[in-house]
Amino acid sequence: MSAVLHAHPASGPALGVAGPEKSRRVLSDAGLRGRWWRFVLILAITAIVLVPIMVTVVLALTPGPNSTATGLTLENLSNVFSKTLAATWLKNSLITTVSTVIVSVAVAAPAGYVLSRGRSKAVSGYSLLLFVMQSLPIITSVVPLFILFAGLGLVDNLLGLIIIYVGSTMTVATWMMAAYFDSIPVSLEEASWIDGCSVFGSFTKVVLRNSLPGILSTAIFAFLLAWNDYLVAIVFLRSNEIFTLPMGVQSFFQQNATDWSGVMALAVVMMLPPIVVFATLNKYFSVGGIGGSLAGR
Amino acid sequence: MSTTTAQSGLARARRGLAPGGPGGGPSNRKSKLSSQTRRTFFWLLLPSIVLLVLIHGYPLVYAGVQATHDGSLIDTGNFVGVENFGHVLSSPAFWKAAQFTLWFTIVGVFGSWLVGLGLALLLRTKIPAGGTFKILLLLPWVVPIVVSSTAWNWLVATPDSLIPSLFRSLGLGTPLFLADPNLAAVMVMAFKVWVSFPFMMMMISAALASVDTTVYEAASMDGASKWQQFSQITLPLIARSTYISWILMTIFCVNDFPTIYLLTGGGPVDATTSLVVLAYRTVFQDFQTGPGVAIAFLMTLTLVVVSVFLYRQIRKSSVE
Repeated sequence: MSAVLHAHPASGPALGVAGPEKSRRVLSDAGLRGRWWRFVLILAITAIVLVPIMVTVVLALTPGPNSTATGLTLENLSNVFSKTLAATWLKNSLITTVSTVIVSVAVAAPAGYVLSRGRSKAVSGYSLLLFVMQSLPIITSVVPLFILFAGLGLVDNLLGLIIIYVGSTMTVATWMMAAYFDSIPVSLEEASWIDGCSVFGSFTKVVLRNSLPGILSTAIFAFLLAWNDYLVAIVFLRSNEIFTLPMGVQSFFQQNATDWSGVMALAVVMMLPPIVVFATLNKYFSVGGIGGSLAGR
Repeated sequence: MSTTTAQSGLARARRGLAPGGPGGGPSNRKSKLSSQTRRTFFWLLLPSIVLLVLIHGYPLVYAGVQATHDGSLIDTGNFVGVENFGHVLSSPAFWKAAQFTLWFTIVGVFGSWLVGLGLALLLRTKIPAGGTFKILLLLPWVVPIVVSSTAWNWLVATPDSLIPSLFRSLGLGTPLFLADPNLAAVMVMAFKVWVSFPFMMMMISAALASVDTTVYEAASMDGASKWQQFSQITLPLIARSTYISWILMTIFCVNDFPTIYLLTGGGPVDATTSLVVLAYRTVFQDFQTGPGVAIAFLMTLTLVVVSVFLYRQIRKSSVE
């Protein structure tokens, strides 16, 4: 899994950080030229890097080979929804992802609290255990889980998928929550303890209430993992109507001639939610924090 | 940086909850609170422990059982000891996959680090619309692999795809990007770097953002060249997060399945089969559970050793 993000907004990469030039009171001609040079350079790099994404969008909006439409059209999109199970796949992906996000946070937040406030050998041992488990290849657990889940009727079942996703987000999500809780002073809780609040009470009433940014970045992490996963889906899902979107997109390639207009339209549907989440919750995205959370315990 | 707040918060937590800490009440009350706290901690940790045992612990033990049996997905089979491991370790396919995994990891880690470092340094200078570029450049990492691999396939898969056609029209022949074993390996690694560099860029940008720029002014006043400033100031300052990002990326690369499988399926002629892909195929296509799990198990053992070692290293480096 690629996603590891955590941060309080303050530690995120500040956009437009001033370089050494800041100190020069007057920007010289050479400095200005250098600036435009770098602009052209970064523009070219960005354009090249984004070719695959632009291709996806353009193909999704271009009329297919059997189409009479001209110019840009949403025809592919309506076709893919009317001729394939795209709507079902989208619904399955949404159910799986939303459930994973909610359960992950619900499991990781209390565990992260203990990791943050506990100081016993057992707690730091548990933290090491999480680190080791996180680095294990998921393929190792997939085979035994497949056999276990087959007996329980959880193969080809969204619930089975959700359980595995929660299990695999749990380790990193717990660290992320712990790192955020570390930034909330215990003195806040002490005040509530004096008022007769229990440890659990101060956790829910004081700590959780002040942890929205931490919860959001953990939720984004779980969202990306569940939404993008392919390995678990390809092993555990068998029938068309249980597929999630990644399997749906891939099912286009099983046919003799790939329907590129259709697959690209569905691909756009699939990449929109992560991009929207990323664009709106951008400030909670930062990978810097994971270093701190790793080294802190 | 969040590290400092994290540590001071932890230190305060220690003081606040430690039995016998300053400002506590009578000792019997303290020990009562402590055992009560411990009980609360246990209940808060319980769901996480249950999941860890179910999703990670149980499968790990069961994988050990499967690796020593000659069974299938339906049947455990007979105990065969280390026979599966012997089979795996003596098969050329395993070593070929191990070799590819090694190259894939080296190129994936350092390739994405170099690209990410270059872009992070470039974006740190004043550039018109720099913030927009920074966000746009994160897209390869945000877009699902299923989607981006589809686009890469469309671009290079057949001789009539866009990029091969472009090569042809430039008179450079028609490279078969996914059909030639060497080119396919290069393509898979390039794809991995394309997917991963934004992660490195974010890690390095975050580290650079915490650097005080006056250090550079002082250095250039002392006559330090640009290269000296980079190697003597910038690199040491980002060393810690670089170290962590290498470790994480190594784990991501070794465990990677979709990047490889979706672009080439491990082919042509197994040229891009990594250990994970080999394990997947052995179990779910050849239905040889024992050897397949043995492969995964060997990877697991290596990663456990490596990650415990690296975990210690990070902790040590954070103490210094």
